[in-house]
Amino acid sequence: MATEIQEIDLKTDEMIINMGPQHPATHGVLRLLLTLDGETVKHVEPVLGHLHRAQEWQGQNRTWFQYQALIDRVDYLSGMFTSWAMARACEQLDGVTVPERAEYMRVIVSEMNRITSHLLWLGTYLIDLGAMFGFPFYPFREREKLFDLLEEIAGQRMMFNYIRIGGVLRDPKPAWFDKLKAFLDEFPDRIDEYETIVTQNPIFLKRTKGVGILKQSVATDYGVTGPCLRSSGIAMDLRRTRPYSVYPDLKFDVITFDKEGDTWDRYMARILEMRQCVDIIRQCVEKIPTGDIMGKKQMAGMRIKAGEGFAAVESPRGVLGCYVTSSGGEKAVRFRWRNPSFCNLTILPELLKGCPLSDIMAIFGSIDIILPDVDR
Amino acid sequence: MFANGDEIFKISRLTIAWLTIIFTIVWMVCWGVGIGLPMLLTQQLGDQANLANEILRAVTPVIAILVFIPINAMFMVLIERRALALWTVRKGPNRVGPDGNLQTAADAVKLLLKEDITPTGADAAMHTFAPILFFAPSIIGAVPLLAAVTNDHPLFHILNLPTGIFYVLAAGALPVVALVMAGWASNNKYSLVGGLRSAAQAISYEIPLVLSLVTVCLMAGTLDLVKIAQQQAGGILNWNLLGGGALVGLNQAIGGGGAKALEAAYPMGAVSYVCAGLLVCSLIISFWLYLTGACAEINRIPFDLPEAESELVSGYNTEYSGMKFAIFFLAEFTNLFVVASVTTVMFLGGGDNPIPPYILDKIPGIPQMVAAIRESFLCQNLHLINPETLFATLWVIAKVYGLVIFAILIRATLPRFRIDQLMAFGWKRLIPLSLIVFIIVVFAREFVNIHG
Repeated sequence: MATEIQEIDLKTDEMIINMGPQHPATHGVLRLLLTLDGETVKHVEPVLGHLHRAQEWQGQNRTWFQYQALIDRVDYLSGMFTSWAMARACEQLDGVTVPERAEYMRVIVSEMNRITSHLLWLGTYLIDLGAMFGFPFYPFREREKLFDLLEEIAGQRMMFNYIRIGGVLRDPKPAWFDKLKAFLDEFPDRIDEYETIVTQNPIFLKRTKGVGILKQSVATDYGVTGPCLRSSGIAMDLRRTRPYSVYPDLKFDVITFDKEGDTWDRYMARILEMRQCVDIIRQCVEKIPTGDIMGKKQMAGMRIKAGEGFAAVESPRGVLGCYVTSSGGEKAVRFRWRNPSFCNLTILPELLKGCPLSDIMAIFGSIDIILPDVDR
Repeated sequence: MFANGDEIFKISRLTIAWLTIIFTIVWMVCWGVGIGLPMLLTQQLGDQANLANEILRAVTPVIAILVFIPINAMFMVLIERRALALWTVRKGPNRVGPDGNLQTAADAVKLLLKEDITPTGADAAMHTFAPILFFAPSIIGAVPLLAAVTNDHPLFHILNLPTGIFYVLAAGALPVVALVMAGWASNNKYSLVGGLRSAAQAISYEIPLVLSLVTVCLMAGTLDLVKIAQQQAGGILNWNLLGGGALVGLNQAIGGGGAKALEAAYPMGAVSYVCAGLLVCSLIISFWLYLTGACAEINRIPFDLPEAESELVSGYNTEYSGMKFAIFFLAEFTNLFVVASVTTVMFLGGGDNPIPPYILDKIPGIPQMVAAIRESFLCQNLHLINPETLFATLWVIAKVYGLVIFAILIRATLPRFRIDQLMAFGWKRLIPLSLIVFIIVVFAREFVNIHG
C-alpha cells in the first residue's frame, strides 16, 4: 500500500515585539522594537524621545541661577555630575577661580553620588536578572545612608543643586565628616556582603559570563565611555586622562580589564569603582583644607561673561560634557549636553543582535542607561 | 546576627496564629460534617440516618479541601511577603489588621471586586477556561494526600488510592495545558512566549521529577501514599530521605535489636553495607532532584521563566485581571503547598516523628501525655482528636511549611536562569543524574533487606 505524503507548506514568521515604553524592565520609558525569530533577537531598534523635556532649550529660557536648579534632573541618579559639568563650563567662561575647599567638597559629594548611582544600578540590574524580591534591596539600604548624608549638606535627597557656579552651596560641619568617615569604614564590608551573594553565584555567572561582549573597536566607534568602555580594556577615565579639579592630587588608578568585556566585567568594574570611590573620599576628607567655599556671588540676576565654554566630567555612566555659549546676559544663548547614556545606548543594537530574549535585559541593564539622560 | 529579631518574632507569632486558626477551622468543619452531624443524626433517627451519614462522610474530604485551600493560600501569600521582606531588609505588609494579618484578605477582596477584562481579539472562552483548568488539578492533586498526611484517619480513608502517587503526578501535569491556553488565548505576544516557555519547561522537568519519585516507589514497593507514609514510621533513619528503608535495620539495631537485626537487614556483610550507603546517597540526590524539578514545575524562582517579569512583563497572566488573576494566584500557591506535601509524604516520613520511638518512650511525660489524650472525653466520646492523627498532623504541618519557607528563601536568593540554560540544565544534568540514581537503586536494593 502506497503511503501518500502530503506536503504542507510550513513557514515561520519573524515576530515583532514592542518592548516598552511601558515595560517593567526598560528602566523608564525606552521603547525597543524587537524583531524576534522564536526567542532569538534579529534586530533591535531603540525608539527614543518618550521622556524628552527640552532640557537644552530650557537652558536658553532660564537664568543661569534657575537653570542650575533644573539641571540635576537631566540625570537624576547622578545630579552632582550634571551640576558639576555645567558649573565647570560656566566657570571656564567667567574665569572664576573656585576655592580649593570647594573643589574638595565637589569631589567628595560627587564620589558619594557615584556610589549611590552604582548601588542603584546594582539593585536594578539584579532585578533585571530575575533576583526579583531577593537581593536588590540591600544596596538600597546603603544608598539611603548616603542620601541622608547628602541631604544634610544639600537639603535634598536627589536633586541636590549643591554644586554651583563658582563653588559649592554649604560648608558642612565637622560632625558631618565624622559621620561620613563612619560610613566609609562600614561600606567596604557591605560591598563584600553583596559580592558574597552575587559575584560567584553560579546562576549569575551563567547569565553574565560571555554575554554581550563589547569589542573595543565597536566601543570606540560608537563613543562608549565610562565603566562600559573601561571594562572593555580601554583606560579612558577623564579623572586621569584629562584631569580636572583636585583629581591630580589624589591617588587612584583607572580600573580596566585586560580583555574585551562582557556583562560580568561591567558588573565587576562598577563594584571595583565603588571601592575606589571610598578610597578617594577618604583621601579628600584627610586633605581637605579650610577656607572659603564660594568664588562667585549667587544671585538671581547673575551674569556669565560672553564666549563659548566646554567642560566634561567623568560621571558614573561615562563622559558627561556641557557646552555653553553666553552673550554676557542673564541667560545662556545655547546649551548643549553630551550625555553618556545616549552614546552608550547606541551600541545596544550591535550587542543584542543574535542574543536570546532573556539576554536583552542582562545586556541592556549592564550598560547602565538612565532614560532622562538619554532623552534630556 | 538577629538584628531584626523583632521582625522574626512577629513573623513567628503570625505563622503560629494563622496555622492554629486554619487547622482549627478545617478540622472543626470536617468533624462537624463527618462525625458530629452523623452522631447527632443517629441519635435522633436511628438506622434511618445511615444513608445520609454515608453521604456526609463522603463529602467531608471535599469540604475539607475547599475550606482549606483559600485560607491556606491567603496565609501563604502573607508569609511569603513577610518572609521575603525579612530577607530583603524591608518591612513587608504590616498595616492592614493586627500585624498586617488581614493584608491578603483585603487583597483578595480587591481582586474579586476588580473589573474582569477580556482583551480585544482574545479567545474569550479559552481565556475564561484557562484559570479554571489551572486551578482544578491542584485541588484534585491534593485529595489523595489527605489520607497520607493524617495517618490514614478514618474520615479521609475513602480518598486513598492504591495508585496514589501516580494520580498526584498525573494531576500535576495538567496545569501546563492551562498555561499554554492562557498564553494563546490572551492575544498578547508576551503571554504567548510565556505559555510556550512553560510548556517546554514543564515537559523537560517532569522527567527528573517523576524519575526521582519512581526511585522512592521502587524502594517502597508500592504507589500507595498511605503505605509509603506508614512504612517510614519509626524515626528519621526510616525515612525515604535516608535510604528509603535501607537504614531500617540499623534503626532496629540501635533500638535494641542488636547484631541480630543488623544481620537480618544486611545479609551479605560488607557488600550490603556498601549498598546501603549507596542507597542513602541515591535517595538524598533523589530528594534534591525532586525539589529542583518541583520548583520548575510550579514556576518558582530560579525557574520562573514563564512569568519572568523583567522579560515578559508577567508572562501568561499578563492579560488577566480580577477574579481570573486571583484564581491563577491561588493555584500557584496551592501548587506550592501540594508539592511540599508530596515531598513530605514521599521523602520526609509523612507524619512521622523524627525522634525514634525507643528514645521518645524514655522521655518522661510523653507516653503519659499520649495516654491521657487517648483516654480523654474528646477522643473517646466525641472522636474529636486521637493521638495518632494529632501528632502526625502537627509534624506534617511543621515539615510542609518548613519546605514552603525554604522555597521562599530560595526565591529571596537566586536570580533566574535563561531559557536555553534551563533546558540544558534539565536535559544534560538532571535527567542523566536521575537515570543513574535510578539504576543504582535498582541494583543496590537487591543486597539490602529493605524495611527490615
